[in-house]
Amino acid sequence: MAVNHTGPSARLLRLSPAARTGARLVRSFAERETKALYKRNVLGWLWSLLKPLTTVAVYSLVFGVIYRATAPSTANGQAEVFALYLFSGLVVWNVFYTIVNGSMRWMDGVSELRKKIYFPTETALIGGAAATLLQSSLEALVLVVIMAVLTNVSWTLMFLPVAMLLAALFALGLGFAAAIVNARYRDIQHLTTIVLSVGFFMVPIVYTPDIVPDRAYGLPVARLVELNPLNSVIAVARDAVYFLETPDIADLATAAAWAIGTFALGLAFFRRRSMAISEEP
Amino acid sequence: MSDSTRASVRAVEVSEVSKRFRLELNRPTSVKEAVLSFGRRDVRHLWALRDVSLTIDKGSFFGLVGHNGSGKSTLLRLMAGIHRPTEGRITARGRVSALLELGSGFHPELTGRENVFLNGAMLGLGRRQMAAAMDGIIEFSGVGDQIDAPVKIYSSGMYMRLGFSVAVNVEPEILLVDEVIAVGDEEFQQRCLQHMERLRSGGTTIVLVSHDTGLVRELCDRVGWLDGGHLRSVGDPDEVVDAYLLHATEPPEGR
Repeated sequence: MAVNHTGPSARLLRLSPAARTGARLVRSFAERETKALYKRNVLGWLWSLLKPLTTVAVYSLVFGVIYRATAPSTANGQAEVFALYLFSGLVVWNVFYTIVNGSMRWMDGVSELRKKIYFPTETALIGGAAATLLQSSLEALVLVVIMAVLTNVSWTLMFLPVAMLLAALFALGLGFAAAIVNARYRDIQHLTTIVLSVGFFMVPIVYTPDIVPDRAYGLPVARLVELNPLNSVIAVARDAVYFLETPDIADLATAAAWAIGTFALGLAFFRRRSMAISEEP
Repeated sequence: MSDSTRASVRAVEVSEVSKRFRLELNRPTSVKEAVLSFGRRDVRHLWALRDVSLTIDKGSFFGLVGHNGSGKSTLLRLMAGIHRPTEGRITARGRVSALLELGSGFHPELTGRENVFLNGAMLGLGRRQMAAAMDGIIEFSGVGDQIDAPVKIYSSGMYMRLGFSVAVNVEPEILLVDEVIAVGDEEFQQRCLQHMERLRSGGTTIVLVSHDTGLVRELCDRVGWLDGGHLRSVGDPDEVVDAYLLHATEPPEGR
């Protein structure tokens, strides 16, 4: 193949041919997912915000208004808006949830195709995750705009995309495993939904970490919440966008270790097993 | 490799390849079933290929004949990288374009055009290269305006024509074709054959699986005969096809 040293593809030239093929496939699958979601119109993008905003509204009503949960003050001490405290955690949770759940769907979407032509199947899942990040960055943008209106912004905002990316890697690691197991045992997707809905309440999203009791029913509840891998990544996001503090190095390191470790293990498992799945009749 | 000058003329090398498939009757499809059927699973293994070795020279036209279930399609899939051999090694040098069955490699939800780009990406070709080839692909396939409709609404003829059109228009170095051209009408078949001839004269290696022994005799430089997963013979098209036909008429195989 002729190598072209100019033009927009020049930065891709440093990648190996396999990596370039992988990148092109990821892009194709991401575009396909984005297009399916929004049909390429502005109204579609707005429509996609409806669900997260409704979630924020409903949880704020139940926990903030009815149960009178209070949120800690933001950095500038102006707003004690429970909805924004909730939203800053929910943005990261949505990345995680959508990718874990979507992985099984993205895998199913290409499994027939993979039986007829070879391509690295993981690119379909990575593409789906990329599309999810794109959609979630819109949510994050809405959050940041609201914070800006309340004059609660700082350079620490740059850690919000970091938190989202780490959540995405962690979710992809789990999603790789879930997609492989689900290809064989179809009820895994239902079990995953149940586990995820329990998981949502195991992370301090609709509550603050400080109100969690040390022990309840003989269980070390506070410790369990603290040990949850998502806890640290949500703490990073909150520091970044709500408290406007430099995220705790320990939180960042924990989040990064979980994210990269889970992603690497999940991908290795996926690569080992995906060939066998394409051989099934 | 000391042998590199010689090896470079071989497009495909199959050495001592065996392929075993795992067949499980009543395989549990849910965790619940798996728990319930624990300890009484009926797993069988099927050897689709046994110790097959052959080489295909660059720029040659290779034919594969054999009964249904003899392992021809499995061998083609191994060459395409869709499956991995259980034993042995298989090497294909150059970009492999495969046309293995109806609509192979199309995502039903995507439009024809998007599928062309997706196929290109799978073959390692960029958007600009595919965009450059697009007009030729559309024209050869004859799907016309329908190129922007999702392929799930295509007729089987359109599916096949677009699939073939992509496979041959991406300048493949190795083209694998499994019986598909038989689906098209007379005129399209003729165009396919002409196009394959043109590719071959341009240096493309072509591997064709076909039950049409006349076609195989006419087109191929060398032919391999697979029987029950074993390579019975490989060599001159007329000799191999004659041996195959003689064998085929002997046992009452129901054809």
